[in-house]
Amino acid sequence: MTMTGILTILMYALAPFLWLIVTSVVLLLTVQLLAHLRGYRILGYRCLGANLAAIAVGLTGLWWIPLFTHSRLAYVASVFDWIALIGALFATAILAWLVLHPLSFLLRGKSASSA
Amino acid sequence: MSEQDHEPSRLNRRQFLKYGAGAGAAGLLYSSGLQARALATKSRIVILGGGAGGMAMANRLSRRLDGARISLVEPREVHHYQPGWTLVASGVWNPEKTMRPNSRFVPNGINWIRQLAAGIDAANRKVELEDGSQLDYDYLIVATGLQLNYQLIDGMSPDLVGSHGIGSVYASIEGATRTRDAIDAWIAQGSGKGIFTAAPTPVKCAGAPLKMTFTTLSRLEASGRREAFQVEYMAPGDALFTQPYINDFVKQRFDDQGVTRRHHYRLSAIDPQARKAEFTFVGPDSEFTSHHELREAEFSREGERKVVTGYDFIHVVPPMSAPDYLKSSDLIAQDGPFRGEWLDVDMHTLQHNRYPEVFGIGDVIGAPINKTAASVKAQAPVVEANLIAQLQGQTLPRRHNGYTSCPMITGIGKAMLVEFGYDNDFAFLPSFPFIDPRDESWVTWVMKDRMLQPAYYAVLEGRA
Ligand SMILES: Cc1cc2nc3c(=O)[nH]c(=O)nc-3n(C[C@H](O)[C@H](O)[C@H](O)COP(=O)(O)OP(=O)(O)OC[C@H]3O[C@@H](n4cnc5c(N)ncnc54)[C@H](O)[C@@H]3O)c2cc1C
Repeated sequence: MTMTGILTILMYALAPFLWLIVTSVVLLLTVQLLAHLRGYRILGYRCLGANLAAIAVGLTGLWWIPLFTHSRLAYVASVFDWIALIGALFATAILAWLVLHPLSFLLRGKSASSA
Repeated sequence: MSEQDHEPSRLNRRQFLKYGAGAGAAGLLYSSGLQARALATKSRIVILGGGAGGMAMANRLSRRLDGARISLVEPREVHHYQPGWTLVASGVWNPEKTMRPNSRFVPNGINWIRQLAAGIDAANRKVELEDGSQLDYDYLIVATGLQLNYQLIDGMSPDLVGSHGIGSVYASIEGATRTRDAIDAWIAQGSGKGIFTAAPTPVKCAGAPLKMTFTTLSRLEASGRREAFQVEYMAPGDALFTQPYINDFVKQRFDDQGVTRRHHYRLSAIDPQARKAEFTFVGPDSEFTSHHELREAEFSREGERKVVTGYDFIHVVPPMSAPDYLKSSDLIAQDGPFRGEWLDVDMHTLQHNRYPEVFGIGDVIGAPINKTAASVKAQAPVVEANLIAQLQGQTLPRRHNGYTSCPMITGIGKAMLVEFGYDNDFAFLPSFPFIDPRDESWVTWVMKDRMLQPAYYAVLEGRA
């Protein structure tokens, strides 16, 4: 398939979720930017709570990803099904971490970063 | 004649925004072949029908030919994504999701004639339109899909869908929506008998009647009262599906799920008021094929054995054929298994067997399988290459292998990606090495639910 073919398919597939994608990206960038302006460094700040919360958000995908696709977890059956689902859980967890980690920095303040 | 001329081929604003936003790099646009060299010609090309096949050809040819006068004969303003109808009838999708304005897909530079074709004079290369006017052509592409012959079932009409416990996913998008309502009403009743039928002719998306049975079974199971419902499947032949592995799989699964299968019966009449259906025993010689002789035998009224049975819900699949205006033209097959019923093309080159300036694509062609949008995706590049070769007096370079695909929904939320072609007893032709066509899978369902419609629109745009 040509590159325009792939782009056409992606364009149609993502179009209904454009609002969600844009909202997520705006949220992510805003939180990251604000935190960086206040001295947040991704590796220089530790927060177990944010890490656990991101994992928890990722794991909620076991419930809502099948639901979102009009299916159910019991139908995730083949090896490729599991690879795809685990990939989606990872992506959700990483996205959540990229928001929650700097957010915790903003909420707890700079003082906590040395803790 | 109502028609609309578009500006000569140029990236319009929609396309510009799309590719500009999507690609983000000139390199991507270049590698896409957007700038493929066009062939100069003054030929008049008429495309009959702007569904999946016709629209794909309009887009492909408008890009490949420079100076050609291309006319697209298509009366509809709205494009219907028919593969979504099973999801609508199963209560998974809203009907609106399956509709887009046709104007989104008609390429610039095309003469879009918003009328029905009423006849074809193949000897004189003329198409007659609904308003009596005529359209001359040098090359013709027939892509008008097929005709639903509900009238071959006594007492049946598409208007009945949605009332008296009658459903039919094929009737139209409104029909699919009313089918969903009829299934809802049956389930709400709390018990009763549902009959699912198949047709004694080739049908588009041969898996659709099976998918409707499986999704309804899912809904009956979800109601918590599965045992209160009786489900029967009436098949006109021995087989339920062309592909042998899937045929065995479906039979076994029906048996496991308590579906009573009856073979060699076709729906011959329906009494909506009494909620009774008449089935005619068509004999063990009957096959799930298109043989003209068999159709004649099946529709003849002599020596038939009939069964009349009551139902609470019935899913009707009408017999199908090429449209009437085509059947009365010289383009219809005159011998062989598709005689009198389907367009007479070589099933590999898709060129007409007697009129070399005529090509066929999609549901209308005489071929043993192939009535899917997935087949259209495989056929469109073949028709494009072969028509262009014909135009240049060269031998036809491409052959269609009969590729067809059916995401066989085996329940709401799971499916099997069944892809096969003409050869080796309809052997599988899997596109993705990581998806086994014999496995029920969530990913295949997600593809059906989320990805196939985008891929379908890419086919319409001639991009896939
Ligand atoms: C319920 C259902 C489920 C399906 N599921 C799948 C699936 O899962 N996967 C898949 O690949 N395919 C599926 N299909 C099949 C797929 O939709 C068709 O195979 C495909 O649309 C065929 O394309 P076509 O261009 O031949 O016909 P169509 O797309 O039907 O287009 C024919 C066009 O011709 C026009 N037309 C008709 N008569 C005339 C005339 N006289 N003059 C001018 N124009 C005319 C019509 O308005 C229409 O726009 C399904 C179909 C149905 C109904």
